Amino acid sequence: MTQHQRLAARLGGVAALPLVIALAACSSSSSGDTAGGGSTGAGTEFTLTYAKSNTIESPFEVLAKQYMAANPGVTIKLDAKPNDTYGDSVRTQLQAGNAADVLETEGGSGQSRSIVPLAKANFLEPLGDAAAKTIPSGSEALFQVDGKTYGQPLGISYAGLVYNTTAATAAGVTTPAKSFDEVKAACSKVAGAGGGKSLYVLAGSTVPNAGITSLIISATRVYAQDPDWNTKRTSNQTTFAGTQGWKDTLQAILDMKQAGCFQQGAEGAGFDAITNNMAQGTSVAFFGPLGSASELQKAAPTQKFVAEAFPPAASGGKAFGIASATYSLSINAASKQKSAANAFLSWLADPAQADVFAKASGGLPISGLDKMDLSTTIYADVADILKKGDFTALPNSGWKNSAVYDALGTGVQGLLTGQNTVDSVLKSMDTAWDQ
Amino acid sequence: MSISQLPTEAPASAPRQDGGGQRNQTRSLLKLGHWWWAVPGVLLVLAMHYAATGVGASFAFTNWTGIGSFQWIGLRNFERIFSDPTKILALRNTLILAFASVLLSNVAGMVLAMGLNRILKTRYILRTLFFMPVVLSPLATSYIWKFIFQLNGPLNSVLSAVGLDSLVRPWLADPSWALWAVLLVVVWQNIGFAMVIYMSGLAAVPLEVEEAAAIDGANLWQRIWHVTIPALRPAIAIATTLGIVNGLRIFDQILALTGGGPANATSTLATEVYKQAFSLGNFGYGAALALLLTVIILVFAVIQQRATQGPSEA
Repeated sequence: MTQHQRLAARLGGVAALPLVIALAACSSSSSGDTAGGGSTGAGTEFTLTYAKSNTIESPFEVLAKQYMAANPGVTIKLDAKPNDTYGDSVRTQLQAGNAADVLETEGGSGQSRSIVPLAKANFLEPLGDAAAKTIPSGSEALFQVDGKTYGQPLGISYAGLVYNTTAATAAGVTTPAKSFDEVKAACSKVAGAGGGKSLYVLAGSTVPNAGITSLIISATRVYAQDPDWNTKRTSNQTTFAGTQGWKDTLQAILDMKQAGCFQQGAEGAGFDAITNNMAQGTSVAFFGPLGSASELQKAAPTQKFVAEAFPPAASGGKAFGIASATYSLSINAASKQKSAANAFLSWLADPAQADVFAKASGGLPISGLDKMDLSTTIYADVADILKKGDFTALPNSGWKNSAVYDALGTGVQGLLTGQNTVDSVLKSMDTAWDQ
Repeated sequence: MSISQLPTEAPASAPRQDGGGQRNQTRSLLKLGHWWWAVPGVLLVLAMHYAATGVGASFAFTNWTGIGSFQWIGLRNFERIFSDPTKILALRNTLILAFASVLLSNVAGMVLAMGLNRILKTRYILRTLFFMPVVLSPLATSYIWKFIFQLNGPLNSVLSAVGLDSLVRPWLADPSWALWAVLLVVVWQNIGFAMVIYMSGLAAVPLEVEEAAAIDGANLWQRIWHVTIPALRPAIAIATTLGIVNGLRIFDQILALTGGGPANATSTLATEVYKQAFSLGNFGYGAALALLLTVIILVFAVIQQRATQGPSEA
């Protein structure tokens, strides 16, 4: 190398170094842009992050816009994240110290966005009484740690059968089944009619749908008889494998498969199978949160989607459902805009906002549910359950860790393929709990 | 005379040791500058590759969930790995996928390379076509293959169209077929890469030796086995090393096609690392799985290097 070449190379190396540093700084600061916020001149600004599964306007966006219109000096910077990686992203940002001021969280400890582990790791700010009042009685343990509230739920989500009444009539099922025997009879009828139709559509390859199907069935087999089952499991007074109700739940799934309740290839189906089958009327119902009914309604305006309860094992058994306080908001403990964030949450606790959120999310309002007239809504057939309080929060939100729900979801897929037995699945759930 | 003159002449004419003090200083600074200037790069590599990896690996001996505090628990994570049948299954799947994909893609790649080496007129177009899958995103192609393998997808449609209805099944949800379906996708994508490596290796195979062997009466198979393949040894070494190291780390295709299912039938160490560390919040356990995978890759890479070096290069 000549001297000139060496000099050029040295200069090139010197020039490259700050470029590399700048690139590294850019990639970290772009995610830092959404953090903290600061005063933009006269007004206040804070950031709000939430999960989004599609391009439909999120209820958080609706409310944020209303708040900004009512409070001209306040700007809320919205940061939507993809739903399937939301928990991981938020945890990473909280670790790095550049998370948003206000975060969407979920109650309990069963997910990566769950409040209890985040609060125990000191990432969340304790909220005031207004937030504590919004929590439905019985769900306090999901939102509070050591008596302090760390999340404010904005809605109630009912999980049950999303039922297409138009497709049901077309398939010859005039009334929803009221007992498990009626379910099996309806399954055989729909499957026997041909055309690839099925009573239920199941995304067996996805943990969320296989899991929620089991949880909805467990409401009538486990939690109707023993609403405190989760507390008992936490104190090791019982196990999954030792509870007849859980065996009945998983056996019901096997019985339904036998009766032809699920679509062909259910063990390998994904979420697209649900969307397609429900929108086209190939299947009558699926197990899931009723908020998705409003989305399906938009996708298939000629069909009618309502909420139905999955019947108990025997006719005359206790009807029981799943309804959870959900879509909760928490404040980042490291936020520099806590007063502005608190003011936003106080505004959200107002019943007027509860109604707005319920309409925007397709769910039920967090307050005033017992006074609501549900007869004209999609919840007409489950109004009794909701009014009487015959429901429990999503069981897995009170489970020790997310590995238990994962064991349930993958275990159900194994049940459908024949890889697992009912006992082996329950045993793997206990092992995951005790790990 | 001339011999004794040389040593005295050489220093006199050599520019290096000549010159006054200032020139000497500049020279020695420039000389020092060679390794001096490598220091930032070396530090960056040490920080990014070794220090960061070391810190991550140290979490394998803790019970960290990814947030909050943690405790040191020694080898408990590793005990857990070897007593969990699903993790042993994941280890088995990792090894099956790695070795099967290396074997199949290398054999097929070598056959293609030999076939497209000379005679065919369309060989340039064919080479491009066979190499194209390599440059495509593994995730994107996996989603397309997922559609192909669907219960009402093209593969099953073709099978029932030709009357093979008994073979129709949900390929990716069948516990006995899912792993082979994943293997098919991986091999399909990697054949082109092996082919390209072998083509460059074949270009170096001396034509004269092959012709001499043909004249001596060796048939095609004997020529391939005794002339071509030994000459391809360096290419085989490269292709199999890369193949094994990448094969042990296969992740995108599995996650896109089956997500590790059905019921963990296609889970490998790589997918388990992601699931445990990030989805389930068992960062320490995931780090232990990652450390185990790293050790396995190192072991096989070393063995494979030794095996393909052979006596000719000793």
